[in-house]
Amino acid sequence: MVAPESVKSSIEAGLACAHVEVIGDGEHFQALVVSSAFEGKSRVQRHQLVYAALGERMRVEIHALSMRTLTPLEWRSGG
Amino acid sequence: MDAQQKIREQVTGNPVVLYMKGTPQMPQCGFSALAVQVLQACGVTQIFTVNVLAEPEIREGIKHYANWPTIPQLYVNGEFVGGADIVKEMYQSGELHKLLEGAKQQA
Repeated sequence: MVAPESVKSSIEAGLACAHVEVIGDGEHFQALVVSSAFEGKSRVQRHQLVYAALGERMRVEIHALSMRTLTPLEWRSGG
Repeated sequence: MDAQQKIREQVTGNPVVLYMKGTPQMPQCGFSALAVQVLQACGVTQIFTVNVLAEPEIREGIKHYANWPTIPQLYVNGEFVGGADIVKEMYQSGELHKLLEGAKQQA
């Protein structure tokens, strides 16, 4: 079982984030990730940045990660 | 033919391609089921689906093809569109309808 907190730490370690929230049941997770690295990026590129931060964990431990990826501006305006 | 080549032929040879777990009639994962429902809600009648559970090489290969580690994956006119979250967001914003209208015209 993977703790949501540990998924959050991995995302923060691999990507400079303004805000991260992760909830989950140990295999399926939902994340809100806010990062200025997303500015000017498509949805696909944003998700790829998060997947890259999680690296091998995405292949081995995490069955599913549902995410919302916002820039700080989008987040402030209610996302 | 290796997996990458096979995937390239599938996504370029069909306007709407969904890599999923299970089949549209019997999806084996909630995210795959959601992707099928969204496409059907957009009025897409011809979806070329690949059940990755039945094809282990494609299941592994598709993760590298789009640099995307999860299933489902939607391709329209050969372009990777996204996974379940993105497809759902695009459906809600109306972007997916527009994209699929274009795909129907080319089909």
